[in-house]
Amino acid sequence: MKLYLYGIIDFSNQITESIYGLEGSNVYNIPFCDIGAVVSEISQPIRDVTEGAVLEHEAVVEKLMANFTVLPVRFGTVVNSRDELFSMMESYYRDFKSNLARLHNKLEFGIKVIWPADKVKANIIRVLKKDEQTIESDNSPSKRFIEEKFEKYKIDKEFEAKANRFIKIIDIFFGKFAAEKKLEKLKTQNLLLDAVYLVEKDKQRDFKEALEHIKNANYPGFKYLFSGPWPAYNFVILSRQSGLLTDSQQTNDILDKVTQCQALVGANSI
Amino acid sequence: MIANAIVETDALEEFIEEIEKAKDCLPKKIDANPKTVEKGLAKLVLTLIELIRKLLEKQAMRRVEAGSLSEEEIENVGETLMKLENKMDELKEIFGLKDEELNLNLGPLGDLM
Repeated sequence: MKLYLYGIIDFSNQITESIYGLEGSNVYNIPFCDIGAVVSEISQPIRDVTEGAVLEHEAVVEKLMANFTVLPVRFGTVVNSRDELFSMMESYYRDFKSNLARLHNKLEFGIKVIWPADKVKANIIRVLKKDEQTIESDNSPSKRFIEEKFEKYKIDKEFEAKANRFIKIIDIFFGKFAAEKKLEKLKTQNLLLDAVYLVEKDKQRDFKEALEHIKNANYPGFKYLFSGPWPAYNFVILSRQSGLLTDSQQTNDILDKVTQCQALVGANSI
Repeated sequence: MIANAIVETDALEEFIEEIEKAKDCLPKKIDANPKTVEKGLAKLVLTLIELIRKLLEKQAMRRVEAGSLSEEEIENVGETLMKLENKMDELKEIFGLKDEELNLNLGPLGDLM
């Protein structure tokens, strides 16, 4: 029987709470020195990322999160034996310990912001048109090409500058309650911000209230998606490359999937 | 068992659409199976050329903005960039590639463009 790995925790005894994971199997802790690897037995490796399996994985990690500091492990991580698990734990023990200490008592929250990109762009064009000189039609094709490109360049530059200004404002609301943050700008024209914040547990109420404050600031056309608390998927830092812990792309994929699944089934959404 | 994290938004469909859009334009790997190897490799090569083309274009725009190009230089740069763009369009058409496909996700390093 193989072992499906959910996370590394700062606890080296057996978990007293009954937790069931993938395939309905009992979830238990395998101690290594003063930390532990939380696993369940699984009959075969995970081949497909299904919504159900992602939610089950996430739910186990969240349950652990209630009582321990957790380093969430990449979805679908299966080890063949206890020996293989111990070997991995030995290799990464120092990394695990430092991350567990850094992430102790902290939670991850996600903020996504959609802005009215079309309107913003239209405004920029309107303002630029006021001051611009018209492109002279008797210019050579290559010069006209440059002039057209330059117009687009000015619009894009201003669009990006506006995006940066709004992101700065949004970050003022949330950033003051965060220990760490990762902000991604303009993943699409409309998706102004895709951010994750690492927040201390005793500041999560303030952080949540920041959402209400920014909504009250009433930026027309802005829409917000708030999610969390999540395990610190995006804030685990390893000193060397590992396939075990979550990388940011897979993390985002998982969080997006969980977010979508939860919102669609209405699970705990406000 | 259902996860307990809260998801709060008043525009769920829009967010799902944008998330999907962001993912769609970022293939994680080159498609190099036997049937599509040619297209897969063309995509990789054209992505790199497109990156260089965009860098050249951006640098040219910065110089135009700074006013550091003479009329003659603007002519030359314009002609070069125009020809490069036309050639890229031809190649994209030959290999059936769209603009948004010419990007790569570099994992922890982010997106190429």
